[in-house]
Amino acid sequence: MDVLELLSDYANYLREKKDQGKKIIGFMGHDNIPEELLDAAGFIPLKMIFAGNDDLMNASNDYLPPSTCSFAQSCIGLFSLNPSQYNFLNLIDQFIVSNHCVSDICTSEIITKYFNISRLNFYVSYTQGSEALKYFKLELVDIKHQLEKLIGREIRKQDIIESIKKYNSFKKKLSEINDLDISGSEKLKIFQKAILYGPVILPELDDFIQANRENQARKSKNSVDILFTGCSIFIGDYLIDLIEDSGGDIKYFDTWVGEAYFSQVYEEEDITSNDDPLDFFVQRFKNNKNGDHMVPNYFENKVAQIKEIIKKHQEENGKKLGVINHIIKFCDHINIFQSFLKKELQEEGIQVLNLERDYSRANRGQLSTRVEAFMEMM
Amino acid sequence: MSVFTDDVINFTSVLKMAYNFLSGRDYLKKQKFRERKKLISVVLPFSDLSFAAGAVPVFPIRMESFNINQYLLALNSATSILGWGLTTKLLGIIKHFDALKIFDSILDDVLKSINVKYNEMYDLGVESGISSDFCYGIKSLYGMHVSKGKNVDANMNISIRCSAFNKYYESLRKLVPRQIWIDIPPRNIGNALELLTENITKAISDLEDITGNHVADNSLNKQFRIGNQVKRYYKTIIYEISAEDFYPCNPATFAEILSLLGISFQDYNSNAQRYLENIANLVKEMRERIKKGIGMDVSKMPRILLTPVFGGWEPETQEYLYEQGARTLYADWEILGLLEEIPVSKGTNPVEEYARYLLNATTEGIGCDNNTLTDSYQRIAKKMNVDGIIFNQLFGCHSISNCYPMLREKVRKKLEIPITSISFNKIGENVEQIKTRLGAYMEIVKPI
Repeated sequence: MDVLELLSDYANYLREKKDQGKKIIGFMGHDNIPEELLDAAGFIPLKMIFAGNDDLMNASNDYLPPSTCSFAQSCIGLFSLNPSQYNFLNLIDQFIVSNHCVSDICTSEIITKYFNISRLNFYVSYTQGSEALKYFKLELVDIKHQLEKLIGREIRKQDIIESIKKYNSFKKKLSEINDLDISGSEKLKIFQKAILYGPVILPELDDFIQANRENQARKSKNSVDILFTGCSIFIGDYLIDLIEDSGGDIKYFDTWVGEAYFSQVYEEEDITSNDDPLDFFVQRFKNNKNGDHMVPNYFENKVAQIKEIIKKHQEENGKKLGVINHIIKFCDHINIFQSFLKKELQEEGIQVLNLERDYSRANRGQLSTRVEAFMEMM
Repeated sequence: MSVFTDDVINFTSVLKMAYNFLSGRDYLKKQKFRERKKLISVVLPFSDLSFAAGAVPVFPIRMESFNINQYLLALNSATSILGWGLTTKLLGIIKHFDALKIFDSILDDVLKSINVKYNEMYDLGVESGISSDFCYGIKSLYGMHVSKGKNVDANMNISIRCSAFNKYYESLRKLVPRQIWIDIPPRNIGNALELLTENITKAISDLEDITGNHVADNSLNKQFRIGNQVKRYYKTIIYEISAEDFYPCNPATFAEILSLLGISFQDYNSNAQRYLENIANLVKEMRERIKKGIGMDVSKMPRILLTPVFGGWEPETQEYLYEQGARTLYADWEILGLLEEIPVSKGTNPVEEYARYLLNATTEGIGCDNNTLTDSYQRIAKKMNVDGIIFNQLFGCHSISNCYPMLREKVRKKLEIPITSISFNKIGENVEQIKTRLGAYMEIVKPI
């Protein structure tokens, strides 16, 4: 399924849901948004996980300076230019303004202010100490109230628990896909689609797993194994093709569209035993040690996590794992640690490519050269 | 040649502030090694808790060695015998016989010295691994810690809405392992104030651990009283003296004084009581000069608010605006809500009052979104009754600079004064372009 087909199907799906009276809440996808709560309230969560291009980035310049994260620029461009394949964005009823990073705040605020979409607020602390956890709970209670005001009734505890269970199974299923011996691009396509649609495509995921378990023989085993970290590869981005064309195969998507998303699971027995379902989200926030929003231990945790994955991969497969650190231009969180990450990992003999780029088409040749050189070095 | 010399030569308080800024290294060495005080690195005006704990807060560039103009050094030596007042009076007399024009370079040297050092720190920050895509402030601050971070005992990290800044704090862990964190809740909801109070209590406990001192409520209140007085004087300059038709010096000097205040307010030059005395004297001297008619009639010069500058700006801007017939005003800390006083009356809980101060600054001043932030700019511009706004768009700033389009729209609709933006990346890098832009801007600023 190509991108246009995916977007077209998704647009039809959303229209169908709108016809059934469902409301849609958009947000810049990040790991601390309690999408289960939106689902429990009967909304369809729509995560902005779409890659940009020159036109989209340029269109944001009326609202933000060019030295803004290319992904944020493109998100604004999607609303400003309203390309036909993305016209399902017109169906969004509410948009969450959150502070994963400051570009998230500015972009979401612009989308709500200039494109006439009602605003919901959900802010999170940067630290994870006891006060930060209590504050996170305050925000959860607050957004629950905001949602309840919209639907005119209380969100039932049981509905939240059911949603948590549903997303839990969904994420576990994505984890199973991650374990399949298929190419990185095949995994990414299904991750992107799944994260876009949510648990509604669970049956399709089951079919996918079934089909691929039966056909585990890989076409090529000569590829270079890659751990992909940093910024996610969003829908419509050519980067995955470029990496595979250069001989790489992404084994680990250590990004939000990837393991950072589907590793956020609970034990089934814990879900029913807990008194307040909002506490699950608090627990998830607390456990999110590798989330790039967090301070002050994010970098230390990230380095330790990458080293651990690489060690395990070498033990299990006898193959080296190279690291591609994907930095979308002007991304605060990933950009600031790029040279330190490279240095720390290289000291351990791990090869790292810091791949910094925006969504401009002109970059493709240069990116390709850099990736090819990295693969040769590996 | 400096346009400021004639004004500054008798301006004791300004000379003192400049000297205290540049001679910070010696002062800090004395504090650290002779007085056994602990140094706490602070960025942005968050020094109160460190003072209350008996530590020495330091804005890290002050640990550097500056090239201090030899006459400023001599001036300091003379003051130890004659006192500042008499010395500056004598300098005023000598100035008339200054055939070599040596005094012309005093303040020029001070400012150049600071700016050169800032750029050095910027380069060091980039060389040390901070991407050039980050703002001037982050790059130079990181450089300052690479250079002298080993001398401080801890960093005071107070989270703000800028994600790059919070991550910059984290990146300092390699340079200064001991970090004191105060995570300000982004919004004032529920018992957020109570949670912040608890965070501050923990930060105080960290400071107690570092210094070995107990931080009593009295120590906090004593420091807040000093801070409140400093803020009152600061506001007097911003709202009263800057609004006068007659300035105690030429407007370019006035802008320099405001910029020196902006930088030094972050750590009170590491000595809160001394800083209070200096700023009190500054206000007193300004008023005396106005009363005596020493200074300049500025009634025909439009008042331009240049902001934000705390993350770095081109210092030549103010000189150029002066040449174009305008007066430049800076008021960043007031816009961001950091010049609000902290209540110290009997029965108040100082920790909670400090929490309220930080939370108000976050939610009402800096704001958790651009709507609030642009309202702050607008509110202060209106209160200062300025004739125009120049918005300093800092390359790589994704927090404050991003609000310009929204601010422009609001200012044009509600304040109806001219507004423009200038770009800044590094001191000295973009001067001609800024001048061209300002030249065009000044044509639309109505002469008074």
